Amino acid sequence: MGADLFEIGVNTAKLLVIFLMMVQIVPLLVWVERRGSAYIQNRFGPNRVGPLGLTQLLADAVKFIFKEEFIPDKNRRFIFYAAPVVALIPGALAFAAIPLSIPISVETFELFGQSWGPYTFLFQGYEVGIGIVFVLGVSSLGAYALLMAGYGSSNKYSMFGALRASAQMISYELALGLSLVGILLIFNTFDFQQIIDAQKGQMVIAGNALPLPNWGIFYQPIGFILFVIAVFAETNRLPFDLPEAESELVAGYHTEYGGIKMNMFYIGEYGHMLVASGLMVTFYFGGYNLPWFLPQAEELIASYGNVMAAVILHLVFLAKVGLFLWIFVWVRWTIPRFRYDQLMDLGWKTMLPWALANTIITAIVVFWMRS
Amino acid sequence: MAGDSILFYALSFLIIYFALGVLMNPNPIKAAFNLVLAMVGVAGVFFHLQSGFLGGVQLAVYAGAVMVLFVMVLMIFDLKKERDAFSQGFLGNIGKLLAAGIVVSLVINNVILSSDLQLATSNAAKAESGRDTTKILADLIFTEYVFAFEVLGILLLLVAIGAVSISRIKGGTHADS
Amino acid sequence: MLTVDFVNIGLNHYLILSAIVFVIGMLTVLLRRNLIVMLMGIELMLNAVNITFVAFSHYNQLVNGQVMVFFVMTIAAAEAGVGLAICVSIFKRFKEVNISLFENLRG
Repeated sequence: MGADLFEIGVNTAKLLVIFLMMVQIVPLLVWVERRGSAYIQNRFGPNRVGPLGLTQLLADAVKFIFKEEFIPDKNRRFIFYAAPVVALIPGALAFAAIPLSIPISVETFELFGQSWGPYTFLFQGYEVGIGIVFVLGVSSLGAYALLMAGYGSSNKYSMFGALRASAQMISYELALGLSLVGILLIFNTFDFQQIIDAQKGQMVIAGNALPLPNWGIFYQPIGFILFVIAVFAETNRLPFDLPEAESELVAGYHTEYGGIKMNMFYIGEYGHMLVASGLMVTFYFGGYNLPWFLPQAEELIASYGNVMAAVILHLVFLAKVGLFLWIFVWVRWTIPRFRYDQLMDLGWKTMLPWALANTIITAIVVFWMRS
Repeated sequence: MAGDSILFYALSFLIIYFALGVLMNPNPIKAAFNLVLAMVGVAGVFFHLQSGFLGGVQLAVYAGAVMVLFVMVLMIFDLKKERDAFSQGFLGNIGKLLAAGIVVSLVINNVILSSDLQLATSNAAKAESGRDTTKILADLIFTEYVFAFEVLGILLLLVAIGAVSISRIKGGTHADS
Repeated sequence: MLTVDFVNIGLNHYLILSAIVFVIGMLTVLLRRNLIVMLMGIELMLNAVNITFVAFSHYNQLVNGQVMVFFVMTIAAAEAGVGLAICVSIFKRFKEVNISLFENLRG
């Protein structure tokens, strides 16, 4: 955590702020989703409460919190209550491990008659050396929230929804992990920070500088496509939202949930989307790096100072993440849902072989380039 | 050193509590959830012992995939009431408990008596303390243990085929293919 | 001389933890009658062994033990797959997964 009181305090505050960031993105995304779907379907969407319907979110929050609680009358109450809380954990833990900007160094300073520092604060919740393995491990725990919700509700539709959702999650986890192996082979590390540092500047192949940024997507286009599809399936969103198929299963695993508990499932889902977008940006779009013709991190530090540079790069990161979050919304209102057997066929018979082929070809090319 | 020991005792308490939950809870699904938490505790021990990669794999493979399979199978079964959650026979159970007690006390006795355990040191694949060992682990797997690794790959393939052939539905949705 | 150091955590503490978890897993296999819970007991035992491997590897400064943990995890996943497949086929026939039904497994 840190060497002295100041460092421990700042690091704890950082964790809290990152968690709140994940929670606070939800109302914004709900607004984007509603207005975006309305735009796509040529409607108006929420436009009465406040300018552009922006304060609709506040009204919704009040409604969610003060709604009457409904609990199914079975003795699985603990699991029923625990499920929404468990749904929050994977997203929060995984998002805190992604670096959001360059580290901030603080010089020695005097406070309370004592000198503190120097410190280096990372712009992320905590640093995990194994980066992506940790994130995959933690986010695979997300399946338990669904299973607990389905079991705790003691309702057959919830149960079916939970079974479908978790089967889908563990099927696509394989393709998700394998689609990332290529990029890990190219950058030769698990660590997010090193991966982002490796994507600086311009792409150079065999001594020739190409007019492309040195981003992962230009090395691994197939891996990127597979990763995007697998991530859509992992977050259980359209076109993969079988567990919530309204026409067959009412609302899937959260049929019995209402009010703030329902809202916590939404926070979990949007947190998952946030983590997925963050991973896409980190692995395939250079993290917080700007393209080569714009000022890089060192120049920004030289001209604006460390803190301002970190803030600017953080805004760059957020802009990239926002683009992917919009793509999530866009796809949801564009593509219809898969049938269940089509979903499993896509996962096991199409994506897995392609991911394996991508891995093998990348391994051969990397071996040949390095030797 | 204090933080170290507090973390160790907290993790051991978690692991043992949830392991006992697996043993005592008559409801199989609740036992499975307990086992998941025990495995998360074991992953915490791995992280604490600076084998972060194994901790991540423990979370992803054990807690994330294997236990989800257990819970899913249990939920498909939907056991209404469990017949004989624990084995019958007073004398037999006493014997089993005694055997378990003997095993644990023998191990603990041995460990305590040999407290100045001489740790073997060889020069093969030394890990620098305090550093993550993922790269050394990968080197070892793909050089010294590559045969075992390949055999495991074949074993996994056989297991996948075997599991499908055991639990296959004859004439299901994919009957004609 | 039986002295136990409760403050400085060393290899021995991890070994004792592992022994306790192993015995709990063993008792689960011995005492429970539900086949799937017995499989869970086996998983507990394997986890206990993994703790031992990782503790030895950490205190010996050798990575070879971690390779073994990696293999144990793979074997455990395989064993769970086959075990659950057998459970499913038992359940299809008898609508129960009690161990006492296993005497009917022939051929």
